[in-house]
Amino acid sequence: MLGKRPVQVLEKIKESLERLNDKIEVMIEMQKHDHKDMGLPLKDAPLDVMTLLSMPDHLRKTAMTLCRLGRATADEIAQQTQRARAVESAYLNQLVIMGYLKKERDGRKAYFYVERDGKG
Amino acid sequence: MTWLGKIIAVHSYKGGTGKTLLSLNLAATFVKQGKTVCLFDLDFRAPSLATLLNVTKGDYWLNDYLNGTCEIDKVLVDSTDRIHNGGKLFLGLANPATEAIRDMSAKDRKWEMRALGRLLDLRNSLLNARSLDYIIMDTSPGLQYSSINAIVTSDLVIVATTFDKSDVDGTKRMLRELYDLFEKKTEIVLNKVLDVPTSTRQESMQTRVKDSYHAPLLGVIPCFCDVLRAQGNVVFIEDKPEHPFTRILDGMAKEIDKM
Repeated sequence: MLGKRPVQVLEKIKESLERLNDKIEVMIEMQKHDHKDMGLPLKDAPLDVMTLLSMPDHLRKTAMTLCRLGRATADEIAQQTQRARAVESAYLNQLVIMGYLKKERDGRKAYFYVERDGKG
Repeated sequence: MTWLGKIIAVHSYKGGTGKTLLSLNLAATFVKQGKTVCLFDLDFRAPSLATLLNVTKGDYWLNDYLNGTCEIDKVLVDSTDRIHNGGKLFLGLANPATEAIRDMSAKDRKWEMRALGRLLDLRNSLLNARSLDYIIMDTSPGLQYSSINAIVTSDLVIVATTFDKSDVDGTKRMLRELYDLFEKKTEIVLNKVLDVPTSTRQESMQTRVKDSYHAPLLGVIPCFCDVLRAQGNVVFIEDKPEHPFTRILDGMAKEIDKM
């Protein structure tokens, strides 16, 4: 199988590793910021202003920036917040787990957005 | 290309601090200075701009835009003829009908989230696409959803406040627990000040405001009987170009322009 489509297989492995990395980053950040305060993961929780107000400061900054940009990668968010890409990636993935953001992959890039009206 | 226009939210802790007077006259001052301005009434609980400016006909209101039933172009009322020899003025009005007020006060969190998205979209659809210089949002007092949505959308929050003790305390709390959390640039306007400040007093007032609110003072508006007497029937700065109130607004507009 590897002989037939080595590039595709390697791409799949890379994608899986990236997903795993996202999850590990979230776990690390959640431990850093005492994840108990952040509530249980929800499904499609609305990211309204009262929710933004009640968020911990570090997540609010990320969420606000994404609200302003509409749809963005962790890189684009990091450029705005002046924080490291890995940190923003962890916060964004955490907000996805909490149900406030959606994530979709377009090729090798992962885009995050706030779902409004059933679309991004 | 990104246009360098600004979104300004005019907010206060308590009602009756002069938000609407300030919003309308600040918008008119910018227009007098040749700017293109859009003035929005986001006080859906007590709409007032439609009545103040005598705009009776409205096929579409801001309510409809936020509901997603029309685009912003349908809502805008060209009111450039209200201000002579200047730029352009557009209005986006809140529906003053009782049914509309009731409807807006019963919205859920998902609707408010979508409304925030619609307000954020205005940066592209109005500021950038139409090269507007300013969008000024007149808001409801206190912690209302529509007001906080406007604050999140804005580049600058102007807080209208008075020397009333409960207003001072509430404003301080709001600065700490609302604007600071959203990292918003905030400027204070002291309104209805009883003693006309001399330049020395104005300086000490500036220090007092900075110490008390930890935010800069944009301007001090004395309690003008002429302004009260006008009862909101006119665009004051247009009607009385030589009045001290007009000069104060002119100074504020120039300060904002420099930011």
